[in-house]
Amino acid sequence: MTVAATRRTTASIRLRMLAVAGGLAFATLAVTAQLVRLGTASLGETRSASAEPVSRIFSRPDIVDRNGRVVATDVASSSLFADPALVLDRDEVAEQLARTLAGLDANELRTQLADRTRRFVWIRRGLAPVEAQRVHDLGLPGLAFRREPKRVYPSGALLGHIIGQVDPDNRGTTGIERHIDDAGGVEAVHGAVSSDARPVRLSIDLGVQHAVANELAAAADRYRASGAAGLVLDAATGEIVSAASWPPIDPTVPGAHLDPASPDRLQGGVYELGSIFKALTVAMALDDGLATLDKSYDVTRPLVFGRHQIRDLHPVGRPLTVRDIFIHSSNVGAAMLAMEAGNSRQLVFLARMGLTEPIRTEVGPVAPPLLPQRWGDVETATIGFGHGLAVAPLQFAAVMASLVNGGHRVAPTYLARTAQPPPTVEGILRPETSAAMRELMRLNVTMAHGTGRRAEAPGYRVGGKTGTAEMPGKGGYQAKSVISSFIGAMPMDQPRYVLLVSLFEPQPEDAAKGGITAGLNAAPVTAAIVARIAPILGVLPRKMAGAP
Amino acid sequence: MGRFLAIVASLMTVASAVALYALKHDTRRLEAEVQATERAIEKAQSDIAALKAERAWLGRPERIDNLAREQGLAPIRPEQYGRIGAAP
Repeated sequence: MTVAATRRTTASIRLRMLAVAGGLAFATLAVTAQLVRLGTASLGETRSASAEPVSRIFSRPDIVDRNGRVVATDVASSSLFADPALVLDRDEVAEQLARTLAGLDANELRTQLADRTRRFVWIRRGLAPVEAQRVHDLGLPGLAFRREPKRVYPSGALLGHIIGQVDPDNRGTTGIERHIDDAGGVEAVHGAVSSDARPVRLSIDLGVQHAVANELAAAADRYRASGAAGLVLDAATGEIVSAASWPPIDPTVPGAHLDPASPDRLQGGVYELGSIFKALTVAMALDDGLATLDKSYDVTRPLVFGRHQIRDLHPVGRPLTVRDIFIHSSNVGAAMLAMEAGNSRQLVFLARMGLTEPIRTEVGPVAPPLLPQRWGDVETATIGFGHGLAVAPLQFAAVMASLVNGGHRVAPTYLARTAQPPPTVEGILRPETSAAMRELMRLNVTMAHGTGRRAEAPGYRVGGKTGTAEMPGKGGYQAKSVISSFIGAMPMDQPRYVLLVSLFEPQPEDAAKGGITAGLNAAPVTAAIVARIAPILGVLPRKMAGAP
Repeated sequence: MGRFLAIVASLMTVASAVALYALKHDTRRLEAEVQATERAIEKAQSDIAALKAERAWLGRPERIDNLAREQGLAPIRPEQYGRIGAAP
């Protein structure tokens, strides 16, 4: 090897060594840099997904009354499930659980646990804490709990018909609960997460609701009625301040709203409401300029339509003015007013008032009005005094609100109006008609022979109309089976609330006296309700004659 | 030169490894703290929900009505209202 060659070799070795060292240094730096980056930079959240076949549960907003009192809320509860693949002894698990949890079917559970391909079987949802602890103490393998929100109703059955119900997944199935779901107010959650959505505010006042429900229950007992309904409606806004149907339903009992013994009598069914309908007939005659309060009609003879005859219960035997027709509740008079208007005018008027088309509230669709299939003279006359046309009491009360509030349309709602755009004012009656109706309704209570005199609650200026409607049954109308109602408003000088009380199949309070007409039951019940709710609603009493 | 580089590099490696493990440890601890706090929040929230329900249950009108009547109270009667000006 030459010297030159050796030198070249040495140089090339140096070069290679340098390259290797440089490469190593670079690699070390790179590793270091990566380590530093990993160490300092945030790694982001690590999430672990559970592989169990998850069932969905929903978190719901609270429901509060118009004053913010909670009537429905979610609380955390423990739900028990089993993983059949991990259960060692089916029979033991089934037996022990059946012994610990009341009402659990051991055989059914055994069948469910037999399917080892399943990894998830619900055993019981929404356990009370003490029950959950007892199951936990059994120490059985293959059982586990999941925390879930569970709906509770602190007000009990007080709002059963309104609130509706939820299913085991906490989804609304009926009533306001269903409305919340439909409006997208619920969210699917894992675990017992409380909703942070704003509470849903009802138009109901819980105190008023209690007073009404309480008086209805007392009335149902006193008159041995099969059912009762009470409604307090804001005459200007259509807010339903109280809506009670007796018997009440418990929202926690599955299927309670399907029980035929306790329907929602305010919006779940239609009824022929009888004489309280005469208020509409009189309003029609006044508003269409067909009559004045002093125009008089000859009501002394019954009206005859072929084999039908319309007569008065207690004929007065002299011609009556429109005012007297209202106060004496004359069937013949109301029929004559309706006949004077005629079929088409009556239909147009009822349509304008909103009695012919179905309506709905947040609780659900209101039972649609049942109109006569053939609208002839007989129908016009009978509808004039409230027979032949069946309507849901809630829809009727909303129409009555227009009669006393100066004549503008009212759409009933179960939600507080402050949470909604203000209702637009749509006049459907002349203000003078409304003023005349207010006068008539007040007279009917203040006059000594007024049918509604027992509705007077001293100081609160109640006014209204009674109605005792025979219920249709086998072979025509049943004289002993009636719906007695009082529709009214208070205070009558400037009505703020429309009131409706209906008693279904009331019996005479005193068997000897034998009265089942509305003036003897629905009217005094209304007075009792008004005396209790007026102070809550801030309606001040007017000083009475004779008071100091 | 090469030796110097190698020493520096290995020192840096060791230092960064130590720093990394220190950070990791800290992170673990903080994560555990966060989890504990979250659990506490959840517990507090579920307690609040339960207490809210309980308060509403205790304040239900039916119960208050009975309690008030036991105390001799009743709904206010019209003659119990008076004008402030008329007060002695």
